Amino acid sequence: MSANGFLPYSRRLPVVAVLLWSLALAGAVLPWLDQLNLSGLLQAFWSVNTDDYQQVVLRYSWAPRFAMAILIGFGLGLAGAVLQQVLGNPLASPTTLGVEAGAQFSIGVATLYAPALLAFSPDLTAVAGGLMAAGLVVALTRKLGFSPVTVILAGLVISFFLGALNAALMLLHGDYLSNLFIWGAGSLVQNDWSQFQDLWPRVVIIGIALVMLMKPLQLLQLGSESARSLGINVGVLRLAALLLVVLMTASVVSRVGVVAFIGLAAPVLARLLGARTLGQKLLWSTLLGGGLLLLADTFAQWATVWAEGTLVPTGTATALIGGPVILLALRGMRNNRHMPGESAGPAHFLPRRRPLKNTLLAAAAALLMIVILALGWSPGLEAWHWTPPWEWPQVWDWRGPRLLAAIAAGVALGLAGTIVQRLTGNVMASPEVLGISGGAALVMVVLILLGINPGRTVQLLAGAIGGAAVLGFLLLLSRQHRFAGHQLLLGGVAIYVFMDAGLRLVMAGGGTEAIRLLSWMSGSTWLVSGPEALALAGVTAVLAALAAMGRRALVLLPLGEGSATALGLSVAKARLLLLLLAAFLTAAATVIIGPLSFVGLMAPHLARVLGQQTVGRQLVMAAVVGAVLLALADYLARVLIFPNQLPAGLLAALIGGGYFLWGLSRHGKH
Amino acid sequence: MCTESGHLFTSRAQGQRHHIRFLAGVFLFLFTSLAQSAVWQHERGQLVLEGAPERIVTLNWAATESLLMLGVNPIGVADRDDYPIWVQQPVLPAGSYDVGARRSPSLEAIAELKPDLILASGQLVPAWDLLDSIAPTYVMSIYDDGARPFERARTLLLTLGNILEREDRARAELRELDEIMLENRGRLEAAGLTGKPIALVNFLDDRHVRINAPNGIFQAALEGLGLDNAWQKPGNFWGFSTVGLEALAAQPDVRIVVISPTAPGLAGQLSSSPFWTHLPAVRQGEVYQVEPVWAYGGVGAVKRLAVLLTETLLAGGQTNVR
Repeated sequence: MSANGFLPYSRRLPVVAVLLWSLALAGAVLPWLDQLNLSGLLQAFWSVNTDDYQQVVLRYSWAPRFAMAILIGFGLGLAGAVLQQVLGNPLASPTTLGVEAGAQFSIGVATLYAPALLAFSPDLTAVAGGLMAAGLVVALTRKLGFSPVTVILAGLVISFFLGALNAALMLLHGDYLSNLFIWGAGSLVQNDWSQFQDLWPRVVIIGIALVMLMKPLQLLQLGSESARSLGINVGVLRLAALLLVVLMTASVVSRVGVVAFIGLAAPVLARLLGARTLGQKLLWSTLLGGGLLLLADTFAQWATVWAEGTLVPTGTATALIGGPVILLALRGMRNNRHMPGESAGPAHFLPRRRPLKNTLLAAAAALLMIVILALGWSPGLEAWHWTPPWEWPQVWDWRGPRLLAAIAAGVALGLAGTIVQRLTGNVMASPEVLGISGGAALVMVVLILLGINPGRTVQLLAGAIGGAAVLGFLLLLSRQHRFAGHQLLLGGVAIYVFMDAGLRLVMAGGGTEAIRLLSWMSGSTWLVSGPEALALAGVTAVLAALAAMGRRALVLLPLGEGSATALGLSVAKARLLLLLLAAFLTAAATVIIGPLSFVGLMAPHLARVLGQQTVGRQLVMAAVVGAVLLALADYLARVLIFPNQLPAGLLAALIGGGYFLWGLSRHGKH
Repeated sequence: MCTESGHLFTSRAQGQRHHIRFLAGVFLFLFTSLAQSAVWQHERGQLVLEGAPERIVTLNWAATESLLMLGVNPIGVADRDDYPIWVQQPVLPAGSYDVGARRSPSLEAIAELKPDLILASGQLVPAWDLLDSIAPTYVMSIYDDGARPFERARTLLLTLGNILEREDRARAELRELDEIMLENRGRLEAAGLTGKPIALVNFLDDRHVRINAPNGIFQAALEGLGLDNAWQKPGNFWGFSTVGLEALAAQPDVRIVVISPTAPGLAGQLSSSPFWTHLPAVRQGEVYQVEPVWAYGGVGAVKRLAVLLTETLLAGGQTNVR
């Protein structure tokens, strides 16, 4: 950051903080001033005349909500700053550790299967869920000494994973989970001081503990190696700090739900505005966190008034802050850290080569078996039964199209994944992780928000544009650093955050859009009609032919620009065309299966595990493997809980997410 | 030939109307000589039937409820096992098959039942082609943007009566509803209980409620009983608004009617919350709770609410939920 702004660098932080707070305070107080003076408002914090209901509202609703917003903002701001220090990553936040998603998931499960537990202590339930998610992240990354990027990726994938499970629960049991729609969106509405009184000692105690960790944390700033040589057990220190942050976040989240991104935005803003030392970062991040949440909550209250009394949850407002802040932070980032998968290119990971023919035959046989099963062997209302092939035309309408669409989506994702991994030279890259699916999904979320209900063709084109835009954006970001580094993965994160903000807006409103979006997001295939499936298969076939033609470019590009040009390749053009191809393939799959299936990651990887190393063989194999994965997912989704059904994309995500985490722990070791 | 519900949906299919009419004409010409067939317009096109259907699958509970009111048991019901919990009446007899979730029913299960009529709402329009390839599918939404749900519910019942050749039964049910309304209104007026506005709420958690708005179907029950709705702002598509508890305090003189089910432990949470205990309605002991009534139902839900509401109001208020 340079100092050429309109303000002297040193004064930026205090000035912005004062501005933020004045705006937030004015917004919070203004609606009451025509009925009361300021001292009357202040009175609400310690006394009440219960005969006047307006005073009751002030005393038990407005005042505690005001206090709660500031307290939680402080807590999350501090927790976020500590977390960024511990992980040495400018994009770390409690949200990134999966704490919110974990807490939400456990509350959902408890609502459905153990309501007594929820009645006993909702806090305990939420904290347990938050700890479980964060614990998973820690367990997965412990061996790697909590390598920053690995932790973030693991946390991110676990968030998506649990988010997908949440979506499935809501789809299946929406009637019983209406509380989750609100809680998930984060509402600071209070109806007495008890929550505040419960919470403030925790926030203060955890806060003090975090500040006491400051000295050893400061040494971490010198780098893990130097800290270790000064006698600090880096692993234990990080673990302790992580635990405190999780406790802080889960305590907050269990009371008001998901108010994500305050813990991210506050420290990022503090740093961008010039906080240098650790002390400054913690102090300003805490202050900015309080101001930010108060402002967001005030905005939510105003919006509630504008919406004629329909509740606009605070979390919707905070989610809108998240995306821009991440992009802001990305701008100033250096590509100086190791990224998992980057160095573990094909050369490091060479299982025994196998002849293509045999492997391909085996995979094709597996696909054929799944197709036969899917068309013929099915659970009926009374018992499982076998449909003989000559009766298949009669059952084609409700078994065939969705299967065909799933296979086409699998092929598309397998190809897209291979192209992206070859282009970036990174085996952990994939359309899902890079946010290409997210970009495609974002466009569709925006379309729904605008009230447009396009057909599949428009969805495909719009999605492809979204995906291509994300890829192009990532390309711009990483131009100086080749196609590797944080930007790739974290740019993907930013896209998902934007998508998430839009999703929250839709979800908080409830109604049919929410359900439609939810069922599409989780990859529901049951609505695919015959012509749609055939069209998709056709599009995929054309794109696959194009991919085959791009094989040579994919071989040459990783050799470096000089060599590739010398061998007669127009590098810029080839790269652009391959990017577009990957975007179109991803969009074609995303329209059917939703953005979170991880098949684009798994399929190319499995192709390599099955011994297909060269570009052409990997492309073919990844396409078949992708088809097998999604065909199986679709079949299982249809039959597992018959006559109810699961979204196929969700099943794929459950397998794919696990696979990703396994791959992460494998490839992060370098 | 019945097109009495057709005029309601002209805005939806304006462009296709002429085609449809033309096609309908062709169809009629072709079929009248072959068999006794009948045609009904609906939101997605038209329904052509030969004789009264007997094997009917309902994909939403408003349709299930209307069908049962006409004395016909559906052969397949979406979310069958949850119906007795949320809708309760009319009772769904044993013997119907579950065909999956209301939002994503299993086409496979529906097809296996070999239905001769499928009843769906506009929520399932994306699946209409698929459903209609299994059996003639009648699409009718009680809930829609700007719709008047109770009128739609009445139309649904009458149209179903027409399709099933049970019009008398349908008319009798509507007459009975009017009588029930009149009778219960009389009882409430005699007891002097029609004055204070009613806030009809479903609790989401201890801080938020869904409050039924004037554009919801329950407005019909309130009006029929001569009661005022305390919430006068328009709700969403389904006819409710999600609000914090403080919204209930805006008017000092209301009765709060809570529709079950409520979460376990809610009474305890509320009783220790000064914000709830200081609500005027709570202080005055004007909190009432009724058994579950399906807020997205049809005529039956209105009838059930009218009866339950009268009984509860006559029994007297409490200071908390159960």
